Formats: sequence, structure tokens, C-alpha cells
Amino acid sequence: MDHMITVQNLTKRYGSFTAVDDISFTLSPGTVTGFLGPNGAGKSTAMRIMTGLTPPTSGTATILGKPYAELPNPGRQVGVLLDASAQHAGRTGREVLALGAMVMGLGKDRVDEMLDLVGLTPDEARRRLGHYSLGMRQRLGIAHALLGDPEVLVLDEPANGLDPQGIHWMRGLLKGFAEQGGTVLLSSHLLHEVEVVADQLILIGRGRIVRQGSKAELLAGSGTTANALDRDALVMALQHAGLAADVTPSGSVRSSATTEEVGRTALDAGLVLTELRGADGAGLEEMFLQLTSSDSREGAVA
Amino acid sequence: MTTTTVHPPDQPTNPPLDPVSDRDLARTPAPSAPPPPGIPFARLIAVELRKMLDTRSGRWLLIAIGVVTIVVVGFVLFASRPQDLTLSTFVTGTATPQTLLLPLLGVLAVTSEWGQRTALVTFTLEPRRLRVMLAKLVGSIVLGTVAIGFAFLIATIGNGLGILLRNGDGSWALGAASIGGVVLSQLLWVAQGIGFGLLFGSTAVAIVSYLTLPTAWAIVGSMVTSLSTVSQWLDLSRAIEPLVAGQMTGISWAHLGVAAGLWVILPILVGSWRMMRREVK
Repeated sequence: MDHMITVQNLTKRYGSFTAVDDISFTLSPGTVTGFLGPNGAGKSTAMRIMTGLTPPTSGTATILGKPYAELPNPGRQVGVLLDASAQHAGRTGREVLALGAMVMGLGKDRVDEMLDLVGLTPDEARRRLGHYSLGMRQRLGIAHALLGDPEVLVLDEPANGLDPQGIHWMRGLLKGFAEQGGTVLLSSHLLHEVEVVADQLILIGRGRIVRQGSKAELLAGSGTTANALDRDALVMALQHAGLAADVTPSGSVRSSATTEEVGRTALDAGLVLTELRGADGAGLEEMFLQLTSSDSREGAVA
Repeated sequence: MTTTTVHPPDQPTNPPLDPVSDRDLARTPAPSAPPPPGIPFARLIAVELRKMLDTRSGRWLLIAIGVVTIVVVGFVLFASRPQDLTLSTFVTGTATPQTLLLPLLGVLAVTSEWGQRTALVTFTLEPRRLRVMLAKLVGSIVLGTVAIGFAFLIATIGNGLGILLRNGDGSWALGAASIGGVVLSQLLWVAQGIGFGLLFGSTAVAIVSYLTLPTAWAIVGSMVTSLSTVSQWLDLSRAIEPLVAGQMTGISWAHLGVAAGLWVILPILVGSWRMMRREVK
């Protein structure tokens, strides 16, 4: 199978509010994809549609070639963690996994294996979830997602509440999962949280996909940062040459042109460059920050 | 401006916990593995039964049903006149508290999924929501049957003690119609609990509606004389009376059918329709 997850023209409207706006993407086996966007960008809604919990207004989403709701025993094929806190506060961690294993038709040893994998001690596993920290719930949620030994993982903000060690651990786990041929879609509102582990990035803001592609592509193809003794002259020269250029808040000149184009333009204009380098994903980060700040000003819609 | 550095691949140089070992992930099947078979319905019922018993609220509800049943039998044993102490009296005595408590089994089985948001997990593991609903219905009927069986057992013990301690009448006579009637009526209440749970989605609203709506309707039906004929057909507790008494006739079956259709079947149908479409958050 070429595509483990296929999303086509997916749209979800609530009245006049469009939570997910015509998004399309495909995920290949053996990859980790970061689904990035500020809170309220539509990540969770899109993931709920993918897992059959929310009906879309239009468009389709398939996992392993089928709509999620048509998978015969979905827990054995797709590991899902949408909200680690959505568990009965009165059940113990072990009981939550035992129930999951029961539905999927797995043995009890699998529960111990998963508790061991996510680092929940037998003592912690005996506690009720009402007494769990968010980090412990996330670990339990990841254990629950991995329980059925799935091929695909769909994780909504799994790093939330994990300490730096926990985040490091999770990255290793997801990388290992993908190396074994698994496919991971994980969302985050923090670029740095996923850029280390992700092969692909999908940036979403206000329900729309703003950018998507391989991490290398997105980080490389984001233009040039430069500076000159006469900064304004450099901007004018670039614009005169038909290249987009402006001044960043930090006082550098940013252009979508390549470093070579910027260098030649400076040479032709007889300008002394003091800085010239590929933007190295700075553009990506800035775009992401822009998404985040403009949306948080308007108030996030969960 | 700082440049975003591309970090080198995360090497587990300092694994804080159990590192991802091959043992744990080696089971990941090739992407071409055939899809696993579906989840058998019997397994879903077993899971739903377990979910009714593995929380404090579920366990305490069952304990409460058991304790109240024993208390009522004790009360009947010592407060009734000896000549009234028959098995039939004891069974009738246990039926009253069970009528109030058993439906809560059904209500909680459904509403805890929304109140505790476990529906998110339940419906990702079995997206065919109707199967889950039916498993809950069958599961609560199984538990209800166990509770009724317990009530019969305690009533039998009560009658025996009545003979021993109070020289009671001690009649064991209990017609098959009566037994069947008690069981069927209690199970109808359980199913009604499921229906109200599905319909209202919240524990508090479902319980309050379950306790007040039929009663309010019964009061209106008995006060307004012109509604008396109608209420024969539409008041479930009135329609169930002859069932418990083992005195069903053709017309009373018709009354029961219509009343159960309104108070049990209709809430289940509308509630299921609602649950199928409801967005799970």
C-alpha cells in the first residue's frame, strides 16, 4: 500500500465557522509527519475526522485504504491518542489497558509489556487515573495506542505534559516505530517539539494547510538572510532586480531569492555585504510564529 | 535573528527510561499484513459488563442494590403480620427498590462514556457505535437479571426465616406468570434506563427525567379524568401492574406494548440515532 493515510479535500464547518478548510495530504509508510499549527488551527478536528469520531462536512479521509469506521478491529491497525485525559478517573492505569486489550483480543502479557515500555511502574499502574499527572496520562495514552501493535499512529499533542526527558524518550520511540515501517502522524503547537523527529511537516493555520513537504525541503527552501553596510540600498537593489526583499524585525534583509542571486545583485550594485546565508528554516519558524500570534490574538477555538 | 538549526537525528545516547528496544517494536507487521478479524459481539458484551463493574460508582450501585434488597426483606420479615409472610409478599417487597435502582445500571452504562469522555476511546476501538450500544443493553440486562435472581434468593431466605422465626404463613406459591412478570418488568426498567441515558446523554438529566417524567405523567393521568383512558395506554407503571401481579390479559398486553413503546423503545431508538451522529470530543 502506497499511502497509509490519505486525506482529500477535507472540510468541516460549524455554522459559519470553518474549522477544517479543504485540506489534502498523504502519508507514506516509514515516515513521521508533524502536524503543526497553533491551538485552534483545526488539527484536533482533522484528527477526529480521520478516526471517525467527527463526521466531515465534505471530503474524505482513509487510513490503510479504508475509512476508519470500516476497519474491522481498528485498534490492531491504528493506534490513536487524541486526549490522554479522556479516561475514567476511577479506573487504574492497568485497568484502562486491560480493557483495551480485551476489546482488541490481546493477551494480558501485552498490558505488562506496554506498561514496561512507557515506564509506568507496577505501583503507578495500580493507581487510579484521577491521581495521575498529565505526563503519566500521556505515557498511558501512548501505551494504549501501541497496545494493538498498529501500523499507523495518530497522536494529538502527545508531548503535552511530558518533561524534557519524556519528550526525548517519545522521539526515540516514534523514530523506532517509523524505522520498523510504521507511519506516524503527530500534532503539536510547538515547531521545535516535532522538527527533530519528523520527516514531513504539515503547517496548518485557521483550518487551511499553509505549507507542507519534507522537512529538508521546507527548511532549505526558505530564502536568504543578508545584510549590507547600506541595508536600504541592498533592499532597493534586490527589488530593482525583481527579487522579493524586506527588512526583518531583527534588522536583517530577508529575500526569497537564493544566496547566489542576492550576492550577484549586491556585487552589481557595488554594495558591501556583511551577512549572507540561507535562511535555514528561519522563514519556516517565522511563518509558524506568525500563524501562532495572529491566531492567538483572535482567540483560539478548540 | 537566530537561525533554526537542524538538529542531528535524536540518538538515544542517554535513554532516561526504558529505551525502545527491538523486542517492543519488532512485532510491527509488514504493511501488507491482512486485516485482523472484527470484534465478536460476545467480546463487546464482556467488555461492557466489565466497565460496569470496574469503577467505584458501578460497584457501589450494585452493592447498594444488594443491601437495599436485604434491608427490605428484613423489614417485611419483622413488620408484616405473620399470616402475610409469603414468598409472594417478599418478592413484591424486593421489586420496589429494584425498580428504582436497576435502571441506574443502564443510565450509567451509557452516560459515563460521555461524562468521563471515555467515548473517545470506546468509539475509536469500535467505530460501529450501534454494536457498542447493543452490547451495553445486553450487558445491563445480564446484570439486571443477576440482581433480580439475587432478589428472588433473598426473598426465598426471607420466607424461610418467616416460617422459622415468626411462624409465618410461609406459602411458597409463586406462579410462573408472576415470576416472569417480575423479571420482564424489571428488565423493562433497565432498558428504559439505557434509553434515557442515550436520549439525554448526561447522568443527572437522565436520572432526574427517569424519576420524574413517568411519575408526573402518572399524576396528570390520574388527576384529569378525561386522560384516564389514555393513561392506561401511555403510563408504563400502570401498564406494568398486572404484569407483576401475573394477571395479564390480551388488552393489558396491548397496554403494556404501547406504553413500553413510548417509554422504552422510543427513547432507545431516538437516543441511538442521536448517539450515532453525535460528535465525540
